[in-house]
Amino acid sequence: MEFEKNVKIRREKFGTVIFQTLCEKVFVTNQTGSAILQMIEEEKDLDNIVAELAQNFESDFEIVAKDVTEFIMELKENQIIRGVAE
Amino acid sequence: MIENELRYSPQNKPLAGYDFTSYNAPLFIAWQLNSACNLDCLHCCEEAGEPLPNELTKEEIDTFCQEIVQLQIPYVAISGGEPLLHPDFFAICEFFRSHGISLKAETNGHLIDRQVAKQMAKLGFRSIQISVDGATAQTFEKMRGHGNLQKTLQACQYLTEAGVNTEIVFVPTKFNIHETSRLIDMAYQMGIYGFYTGKIMQVGRAAQNWEILCPSPQDYQKFFVTLEEKAALYDGQMKIYYYPYDVIEELKYRLESPAASLLIIPNGKAKLIGPLPFVCGDLRQHSLAEIWSRYQKAWRHPEVVTFTNNVITNNDLLKEANHWRELSLA
Ligand SMILES: C[S@@+](CC[C@H](N)C(=O)[O-])C[C@H]1O[C@@H](n2cnc3c(N)ncnc32)[C@H](O)[C@@H]1O
Repeated sequence: MEFEKNVKIRREKFGTVIFQTLCEKVFVTNQTGSAILQMIEEEKDLDNIVAELAQNFESDFEIVAKDVTEFIMELKENQIIRGVAE
Repeated sequence: MIENELRYSPQNKPLAGYDFTSYNAPLFIAWQLNSACNLDCLHCCEEAGEPLPNELTKEEIDTFCQEIVQLQIPYVAISGGEPLLHPDFFAICEFFRSHGISLKAETNGHLIDRQVAKQMAKLGFRSIQISVDGATAQTFEKMRGHGNLQKTLQACQYLTEAGVNTEIVFVPTKFNIHETSRLIDMAYQMGIYGFYTGKIMQVGRAAQNWEILCPSPQDYQKFFVTLEEKAALYDGQMKIYYYPYDVIEELKYRLESPAASLLIIPNGKAKLIGPLPFVCGDLRQHSLAEIWSRYQKAWRHPEVVTFTNNVITNNDLLKEANHWRELSLA
């Protein structure tokens, strides 16, 4: 997974702001969203991201997997990232 | 600019950070680089033509550009006047691109030849926006004094051939609005990426020439139907963006929800928004970070709130837009 061209991200107090400058749309995430974006930047894949988050939050793996997958699909639909394995 | 939100919250906590005051810095800089222009448009909201007597110097421009990078501002739009007349236009663009900032430039295209288009392609602009206010020489040249439609379309060709993401901006008026459909088809045939339009603003020279420019409500009704049809026709092939609101509706919205952006005019002053006369800072006196915090205060300043509410009920006050008023923001 990688960020689309023309996508800019910036850390903020509340989390992260994502600016898809090609469609001129702004998105915001909370701190958990920031952590995921950071892992995407570090070129981690979906399985790694889920495993790391489940461990950090001491949450149920299944629930984290579902949430993270939804978030990543949303990033893809909004042309923020590409190269998501189907 | 449309704002969306994307959530990630395992505990379904409400999201923070949507309001403009929660951003560390602006998300967008609209920069009118100069006031000089080679055309004399009937509708020019900036009343461009001659340079301002005190435009930013090369050194001041350099400092400003560095501040944009330091504040991690992701997106800059350069306009004018005619920005390609500015001697430092390319140096500025190169600087921003070398720091990974998304960049667009708004131009009338008259100075874009094959060589310039290639230079632009190398820089990887988010887009070059060319103003094309008509599909025939007759209407285009009526609207854009000293303008030449052929040259403008040629510029679009050079840009698309060079692989530049090219967009067209069309301002509808009483005498060119019936050419909308034809111009959109021409844009598609030229390989244009996006077609931008919306209602003409009653600001600057457009306010002075309002009688000859302002389309009728019926014209606008047809116009928006055309845009909807063309957007469906070219879906997935060419983007058609149109903003259905006029400047008064925009001001109502912005008073509630100001944009996370700054508008810098050629003398380094920061305006709150194009159609209002208020200036909230000056690059010669304030750092960009200070201007951002002054901007946030300015939108809540009683003078701004009262004046904006007055504009909303009395459009005539839009004539004040280019008579800058400094705000005292202790
Ligand atoms: C002020 S021009 C400056 C850049 C360049 N000289 C050009 O002509 O594109 C930027 C854009 O604002 C548009 N514009 C100017 N006056 C306007 C008005 N009264 N209402 C809406 N758009 C306007 C122009 O048509 C152009 O697309």
